[in-house]
Amino acid sequence: MKLKKIEVFSKDELETIHSATMTLLSELGIKIDAQDTRDLLKKNGAIVDEDTLFVRFPESMIMEKLKTVPDSFKLHGPDGSFSFEVNTKSTRFATIGTPVKIRDLNSKRGVRKSTMADTIEQIKIVDSLENIVCSHIDVWPNDVPYITIHTECIYQWVKNTRKPYGLGCLGKLASQDMMNMASIIVGGEEELIRRPRFIGFMNPTSPLHLPKLMTNGFAIFTKYKQPTIIAPEAIAGSSSPVTLAGLITQTNAEIVGSAVLSQILNPGAPIFFGTVSHITDMRSGNSAMGSVEMGLITTGIAQLARFYNIPSRGPGAGTDSKVLDLQNGYERLQTLMLAAQAGVNYITCAGTYEATLVEALELLVIDDDLAGMVQRTMEGISVNEDTIGLDVIKKVATSKTKGVNFLAESHTRKFMKSELYMPRLSDRTRRSTWEKKGSKDIIERAREKVNQILEDHQPNKLENIMEEQLLDYMKQVQSRTFDDYKEAEGLRVDSITLPDGIEIKSNQK
Amino acid sequence: MSIKEKIQELVIEWDEEGLKKYCQLLLKNEEAKASDLLKIIGEVMKFIGDQFELEEIFLPELIGSAEVVKATIDEILDPAIRASGEEKKTMGKVVIGTVESDVHSIGKDLVGSFLFSNGFEVYNLGVEVTADQFISKAEEVGADVIGLSSLLTMSMDFQKHVIEELKKRGLREKYKVIVGGAPTTEEWADQIGADAWADDGIEAVYKIKEILNKN
Repeated sequence: MKLKKIEVFSKDELETIHSATMTLLSELGIKIDAQDTRDLLKKNGAIVDEDTLFVRFPESMIMEKLKTVPDSFKLHGPDGSFSFEVNTKSTRFATIGTPVKIRDLNSKRGVRKSTMADTIEQIKIVDSLENIVCSHIDVWPNDVPYITIHTECIYQWVKNTRKPYGLGCLGKLASQDMMNMASIIVGGEEELIRRPRFIGFMNPTSPLHLPKLMTNGFAIFTKYKQPTIIAPEAIAGSSSPVTLAGLITQTNAEIVGSAVLSQILNPGAPIFFGTVSHITDMRSGNSAMGSVEMGLITTGIAQLARFYNIPSRGPGAGTDSKVLDLQNGYERLQTLMLAAQAGVNYITCAGTYEATLVEALELLVIDDDLAGMVQRTMEGISVNEDTIGLDVIKKVATSKTKGVNFLAESHTRKFMKSELYMPRLSDRTRRSTWEKKGSKDIIERAREKVNQILEDHQPNKLENIMEEQLLDYMKQVQSRTFDDYKEAEGLRVDSITLPDGIEIKSNQK
Repeated sequence: MSIKEKIQELVIEWDEEGLKKYCQLLLKNEEAKASDLLKIIGEVMKFIGDQFELEEIFLPELIGSAEVVKATIDEILDPAIRASGEEKKTMGKVVIGTVESDVHSIGKDLVGSFLFSNGFEVYNLGVEVTADQFISKAEEVGADVIGLSSLLTMSMDFQKHVIEELKKRGLREKYKVIVGGAPTTEEWADQIGADAWADDGIEAVYKIKEILNKN
């Protein structure tokens, strides 16, 4: 049988968390900045306090709206040739994180600011990997002006991969650009809605806050039915209670409230029941993504996702290490394995380290191998007449030849690939062979694979008309100012601070 | 489909009966000589060996193919070559076995398969092979190389024993001796006066070619 899922809540405890969530949502609710979103929720049965901006959700309304959330959906690459399904039973692996730096041994500190060239390389590598099915805007192109990052990235996406792409729901203007460009690429809005290409991510701000920029973008993603990850990043002890049950109840309210909003915006819009929540390190005040508690939180959220019958997203391959060392290795596999065992349907963060702030392309190819190992583990042991193989045991054991083995048996050939996962990068050779091949460690072997992929990668050939339309669209976006964005989003701010502290100022184009 | 393509297909499919019948038919209809078929099979095994080294196929696929080919050579082609009075051309003859007091066979069998896939004529004597058995077989078949395997530190000494026995019988210079197995090392091979040491099957092929000047 397949491996049993691990659980952190008993049935009663799950009901207790659900019930506390309902209390929180109906008695306090979620603070929602956007007037139009508050009005829409009010029209659908929510109770709004216009002084505090808190929107309260009655339990009956919540349970009614959750009924239309799909339990499965498919995602497609730009030309539709590659696709995968996410459902409440799947185990898929993807990137995502906020790497603003990249590992580069030629730079003095071993890392440097990431650029568009790195973003492109990451897209190409994910395109070539077996187990990692989707890349997202995660390797941040620091050399591209903020207001055109989404359009530049989409252009590189369509040129360099067969796989879907993930983008943040950062405002209505940018999100609409994403849909417009995708519609050009796939041949119309109808096709985009029918066979989604993008994964959005919408992060409520803990505790219990939905900022305007997020709900503005979320409305666009749900309108076009592009599956959107609702993923609070609460940090136990600083942006949520230190108790894991407290954190999970609070973030459950944030996710469920957002899920209700998605179904009011567009019934049947696909969403992921997500989490990236972790803990505060009580020595330094830093967030700790490689912590075992992150795994427990992820397990709890995955269990709640199954309770509501919604596909889940959670982090794996998370580590706080600053280098590619043992800590990096044990934390990434531990969180990856735990996420899979928890039954997370879409496991993210491949290729990152230092709490996802840094990317290493070497880790991306290693994570692909780890994902294969984890997937094999989850398959468990298949038991039937064929796999028990009494006939082959009898045949080999009674062979007249002195000294026999199973290697050349048809049974071995038939089952070896399904029974044994063959990692591509792990070294299992004898020492002399390993020495002959240059005594390379896993990082060096991974680097070689990265170089090979980049050397072999063939970009997609775009139709001239489509490429012209895309370039025209990008030109229009380039002519916008930061103030155009602020106006479109109804924001009265001089700057926006992105996760990890990048500040975009008003005078910046 | 050429003869080579057909043979390659049968070998890759592990179709032992099919390969035997096909070779018999070609011989009967005088479409090919046994020595030509042997050469073609050698090329096919070289291709499969290369695929293995490139990690395109896995060990069972290589070993299984080698066994299919070996059965055809032993039962069909060798008798035909002998009957025609032709001389069989190979890379060399190797007698291999696991030494006395040791029953570990898989590593040594792999070495045998690799050698066979690379065009050597292999006489695999099995496990717990005594010095006398090694030497008698080598004398009988006119071997070029004797390969001694050992997986136990306890049995390693018997590798030395075979070399000493060769010396005693005045036959040491007649054969090249290669040793291997998990506990053995290059230093050990030097110490007991072996001609070569190999850490795995692929290396054994290179080392044997080297000591026979066939590289």
